[in-house]
Amino acid sequence: MTAPGTPGSAALVRLVAGREVSTRIRDKTFLISSAVILLLVLGAVAFQVVIASGAGKVTVGVVGDRSALQPALQAEGKAVGADVTVVGLAGEAAARTALAAGDVDGALVVGSGGAPRLLVERKADPQLTATVQGAVGQLAIGRQLAQAGIDPLDVPQVGVTVVNPGTDPTGERTGIAIVGIIVLYTLLILMGQFVAQGVVEEKSTRVVELLLSTMRPWQLLAGKIIGLGLLGLAQIVAISVVGISGALLFDVVSLPGQLIGTVLTVVAWFVLGYAFYAAVFAAAASLVSRQEDLASVITPMTVLLVIGFFIALQSAGDPSGSLATVTSYIPGLSPLVMPVRMAAGAAAWWEVVLAVVLMLVAIALVVRLGGRIYAGALLRTSGKTKIREALRAERL
Amino acid sequence: MLEFDGLHKSFGDNHVLDGVGFTVAPGTMFGFCGSNGAGKTTTMRIAMGLVRPDAGAVRWQGHHLDQEIRRRIGYMPEERGLYPKMKVGEQVTYFARLHGLDAAAAARASEEWVSRLGLGERRGDPVEKLSLGNQQRVQLAAALVSRPEVLILDEPFSGLDPVGVDSLAEGLLDQVRQGVPVVFSSHQLDLVERLCDSVGILAGGSMVATGTVEELRRREAGRLLRVVVPDAAHGWAAGLPGVRVVSEQAGDTLLELAPGTDDQSVLAAALRTGRVRHFAWREPTLVELFREVVAAPGAPEAVAS
Ligand SMILES: Nc1ncnc2c1ncn2[C@@H]1O[C@H](COP(=O)(O)OP(=O)(O)O)[C@@H](O)[C@H]1O
Ligand SMILES: [Mg+2]
Repeated sequence: MTAPGTPGSAALVRLVAGREVSTRIRDKTFLISSAVILLLVLGAVAFQVVIASGAGKVTVGVVGDRSALQPALQAEGKAVGADVTVVGLAGEAAARTALAAGDVDGALVVGSGGAPRLLVERKADPQLTATVQGAVGQLAIGRQLAQAGIDPLDVPQVGVTVVNPGTDPTGERTGIAIVGIIVLYTLLILMGQFVAQGVVEEKSTRVVELLLSTMRPWQLLAGKIIGLGLLGLAQIVAISVVGISGALLFDVVSLPGQLIGTVLTVVAWFVLGYAFYAAVFAAAASLVSRQEDLASVITPMTVLLVIGFFIALQSAGDPSGSLATVTSYIPGLSPLVMPVRMAAGAAAWWEVVLAVVLMLVAIALVVRLGGRIYAGALLRTSGKTKIREALRAERL
Repeated sequence: MLEFDGLHKSFGDNHVLDGVGFTVAPGTMFGFCGSNGAGKTTTMRIAMGLVRPDAGAVRWQGHHLDQEIRRRIGYMPEERGLYPKMKVGEQVTYFARLHGLDAAAAARASEEWVSRLGLGERRGDPVEKLSLGNQQRVQLAAALVSRPEVLILDEPFSGLDPVGVDSLAEGLLDQVRQGVPVVFSSHQLDLVERLCDSVGILAGGSMVATGTVEELRRREAGRLLRVVVPDAAHGWAAGLPGVRVVSEQAGDTLLELAPGTDDQSVLAAALRTGRVRHFAWREPTLVELFREVVAAPGAPEAVAS
């Protein structure tokens, strides 16, 4: 005989959470979406790899004498961080052909008289202009000094020491934050949907009555939210690990410490955002009894998430703007906007603390109110329940 | 003892339960009868903590039912409910665990009950792939898997074919033999009559009759008289004092005698019509008892629907 003990609250919550995880982990939607998000992040890393490998390579064609120009161009290139290759070209016609074919980024025509001209296909790359300008200028000065009888070698060369190798650290951080926000947003929508579908499934199949004969509504709700939350957290952590490893492996970020810091910020905001949205989605879903009616109650929340997402993207360009600043405090929007502002270095520490506190207060409210709605509406398995009815209903 | 004591419940202006009370002894089966909407489901839901009573209580062995005691009760809701995509075995195991069995015991009990209910081969199938009858068996397995001390089943026989009814009846009798008190509601009164040690009829918000089928019969017995007089003209008994004709068909007459009416005067009247082939007090069936008590004055609301 197995005498049943009495599982306490923690045990019941754990059982519910365990069931959520083990069912979802075999769920097709979950597996496919996980794969898609992972591919997205790997795609972002790969994109960075391509960009990084293409940057800083300049090929200059020279029409005319290049014996003096070649070393000057290469030295100048080094100073501005470009790897300059010099090729000789037969004439201006050949230069135009090479430009059109993309063999050279610019062609320098050194005529017998007058100033040298730089031909470019469409628009001059500032790096290219700087290199050529510098080289030509240096040669000209050297020539004039020589004519004046001064040895050009006496002219001190300005040695450039790169102090900060990342050209734009906040830009890089913002980019990472944007990728993070895309993942965070996708996971919030996905996990919110899972919570909502799970709640309605239990109502529509009436299994909820059997469940509630062994546990309280809050235990069921907590188990569901915690189970799916752990799944979401595991997912975002796994994605972060893959993303960070990829970025470090291919050397696409200049400051690994900042990458990890930004990713951790995003993960922390995911936890806050998930707690908020999971409670809201669960309460909303408990109002309906059929999957078909689900869209009508969760659309407002989904719209809020979408708005937050677009504001976050927008604030990457203008992290100190009033839209970004205000929305980074608003609970529900802050998990999407604040990480971007933090990455851009536009948020002071007290602003972050304020946003977190506001978010925690909102979570506490939403969990309380949502829990009441959920408990009141759960056993009304026919039709739609109004929020007011659910709040007034007797709670078990 | 499982005691339902003075339950009151109103939904708005709808006074559904108005002092419902009955007791079920361990090792007995209690048939809970009543018209649709009488409040049987509400009563059972109160026991399971799914509806809060306005007054009254349900007790098991003298203790108020709380979450802890309820986990030792097997419950089958009127609206069946299982996770459609979850496998049969896993599902039964899950419910066993919710009732407090540890992982190993739950797996063992699930294995045992799934086979016992003839679902051994479907263990790995999702519930939605099963026929309704088999889904009902899974539902029963979910109620029985934790070896409950008490069983509360809301219309467990509805939707079953005769074979299913027999196997469920056998399963419940088996539980009763092990000392479990079983309460079930049903409209199939023949079944209740056959299976139950005691019966309760709910009408108008309270129990209008409770007791063993025998006791109920005795209460109503001596009132219905069946007389078969093949040669009598139709309406032969219509004018007899203290007699109401319940039914009459080709001389086969069912009469209800008012208290104090002399049955011998009825026999004399019958003999006057000619041959009397049958003359006997009739044991009312539960169906007739049910009609009788439910239609009784003081319980008019219960007739509805
Ligand atoms: N949650 C509820 N809200 C309002 N009325 C209810 C609710 N549950 C049951 N009722 C009403 O209570 C009465 C008894 O219902 P029920 O207990 O299901 O009867 P039975 O099971 O005997 O058919 C019905 O009139 C029904 O409409
Ligand atoms: Mg009912």
